[in-house]
Amino acid sequence: MKLKALALLLAAGTVIAWAHQAIAEDSFLDVGEQEPITILINASPWYKGFENVVALYEEQTGNKVDLEVTPFDGMLEKARSAVHAGDTSPYDLVNINGTSTVEFYKGGFLEPLNEIDPQFQVPKEVYSFGDSGCWDEAKEFRTCSTGKLMGYSPNGNVQLFYYRADVLKEKGLEVPVTFDDVLTNCKVLQNPPETYGYLQRGEKGDSIYYDFMAYLLSYGGSIEKDAATGDYTVTVNSPEVKAALDKFIEVSRSCGPQNFASLGQGDLIQLMQTGKGQQAHAVVAAFPNFDDPQKSAVVGKINAAVLPKAKADGEPGVAIGNWVLAVPKNVSDDGKKGAIAFSKWFLTYKAQYAYAEGGGIPVREDVFISDLKDKPQFRWMPAYQQEIKYGKQLLGYSEGPAVNQALGLRLNQALIGELSSAAALNQAARDIEAIFKKGGRKTGQIAPLAE
Amino acid sequence: MTTGIKRTGSLSNFADRQFHWLALAPACIFLVLLTVYPVLELIAMATSTITFERAREIWRFTPVENFRQLLDDDIFRIALKNTVVFALVSVVIEVCFGIGLAILVSSAGKAKAILRTILIIPILMPPVAIGSMWKLMYSLDFGVLNQAITLIGLPAVNWLGSTSLALLSVVIVDVWHWTPFVFLILLAAVEAIPNDVIEAARIDGASNRSIVFRIIIPLIWPTIVVALFFRTILAFKVFDQIFLLTSGGPGTSTEVVSLHLHKVYFQQNDLGFGSMLSLAVIAATVAFIWVAYRAGRFVRARDA
Repeated sequence: MKLKALALLLAAGTVIAWAHQAIAEDSFLDVGEQEPITILINASPWYKGFENVVALYEEQTGNKVDLEVTPFDGMLEKARSAVHAGDTSPYDLVNINGTSTVEFYKGGFLEPLNEIDPQFQVPKEVYSFGDSGCWDEAKEFRTCSTGKLMGYSPNGNVQLFYYRADVLKEKGLEVPVTFDDVLTNCKVLQNPPETYGYLQRGEKGDSIYYDFMAYLLSYGGSIEKDAATGDYTVTVNSPEVKAALDKFIEVSRSCGPQNFASLGQGDLIQLMQTGKGQQAHAVVAAFPNFDDPQKSAVVGKINAAVLPKAKADGEPGVAIGNWVLAVPKNVSDDGKKGAIAFSKWFLTYKAQYAYAEGGGIPVREDVFISDLKDKPQFRWMPAYQQEIKYGKQLLGYSEGPAVNQALGLRLNQALIGELSSAAALNQAARDIEAIFKKGGRKTGQIAPLAE
Repeated sequence: MTTGIKRTGSLSNFADRQFHWLALAPACIFLVLLTVYPVLELIAMATSTITFERAREIWRFTPVENFRQLLDDDIFRIALKNTVVFALVSVVIEVCFGIGLAILVSSAGKAKAILRTILIIPILMPPVAIGSMWKLMYSLDFGVLNQAITLIGLPAVNWLGSTSLALLSVVIVDVWHWTPFVFLILLAAVEAIPNDVIEAARIDGASNRSIVFRIIIPLIWPTIVVALFFRTILAFKVFDQIFLLTSGGPGTSTEVVSLHLHKVYFQQNDLGFGSMLSLAVIAATVAFIWVAYRAGRFVRARDA
């Protein structure tokens, strides 16, 4: 009898828990009536999803949200102007590129979210993207274990390997696991100017920096020794990084178009959409462009996989390129309250699900394992989920933008042959050491590469 | 009573004597506020290191460090060289084309108005539209230029991705964009030349070539100098089209000072060194114009 009662109780408990879960998943969060807010947001490929989810928020809650949509290049200046303004910031939430967050954290321009609402927390299902939303003022480093919560990611870009599934099947080629496999496939697929075997960005600046990280990380390289513990010894001219750069150059030159050294994101997407690109690596946010019938000639033909690696049993080099939504200090109290309300709603499962359906890249793990992953238009989701566990947050210090530019130039010089790979990396190491020295860091260099 | 009249009279005299100062005062105040103050602020910033802490600016006076950084900046030296080459080549071509077009259009009769309208279209276009349009035209795989080139059996040209062609490609866009500006200034000058002068030369048997080189160009020379002056300043500040077309690459082949300054100032947020670079750009522009002016005077003195 006792056992029966216990079983009944257990069953009732399970039903209640399930019902609670179902209700939680089925209903949108009620955040109450809020003052209108304005969000500074970038016109990136995932913007449409954000616009859709904001429209849903307005519909669900009756609260008004204005979007200040700005091209990528104008975002930083607009965010700076807003937080530097002596009076009230025109934006209640500002979206900041991951690399630039430190400038805002260190400058004290943002309000820690728990100082607005002590109860606010980012749900555990939301990816932390290398703790880019937290700031430890004493350590001057982004970490959630000891730092304050300053923001959260509305988008976590990583790069995925894209390939023409139909072409690989037709030619009897395997999805490459290593960069050497890429070269093997490329020999069959490269037929310029009709088709290009592998596309990766070589354009000077952030483009080549970010695309090269897939190689650098996979080959076991690093830019500095251990920034988290304050050791800024420059390691970018290590033999591992040289091997990575040599491979990057080989792939670019033998598998890309003639303008491989100036290939940007727009060019890459265009080449894939027109069917010229056969394989590529690009950010996950690029994927919806391949399936857009208005723009693409290869709808449904491009699949996504985990990035190629240095060795078959190694790890892919996954550099996280995310954004952080944060609240400026100089926002009105009502604005701060409204921003927190929106953030709570936006990070719920239901909202994130709708965000993905609308064309956004969700940031909750449970959305990636939902039924969406089985739908054809979300066929990139399993690759993303497999990769994200290897994701690394780089340049998490105030000198990050300067290091990014120094590397973006030297890598491009190596790619065009202006410098040898060893000379380019040695020069990059000298540049980066000077940047760290100016910032007062404990720095130095490893032994230079033989040029 | 007499004293009162005298005093009123002297006050009135004083006001009359000083009226020009009173009249000039608003303009002087605006000049100081809008020109002198920003330059002084720029100098103050150029000699400082500016950081932000607790939402406040912190200034440290570091003129030597900033100047040393300028001397050590090898990218700046390359950018300066590229800027001078860019300015020299593009301005010379624009002025030559501008003179040619001004003379041709001024003698175009009834078609003058329509030609003038068509020719000034490029300067009416926003720089962002120009950059985007030319980027599409220069596209290796899809650009109209390469489509035309490959149609006649020649290989596609890597306009923006080749270190030897990228700067030239940017010069072509600049020439397309700014020649109409030079043309417009010079057209007004050509049209201001009295017909009698040209007719007299023709009666004396002067050929077209002689009329252009011995009459028209010498007569519009002061206007050409003004056009050169304006264009040189603008060419030194070139930013939009290079930013949109090449971002300074490949390598350092199209890196110019404004682009370098933008990276330091806005992307790296290094306000002190960025301001030092701004001062260096101003100094380089003034030096370039001074050298050009002296060279022009020397040539004219030799020819006189």
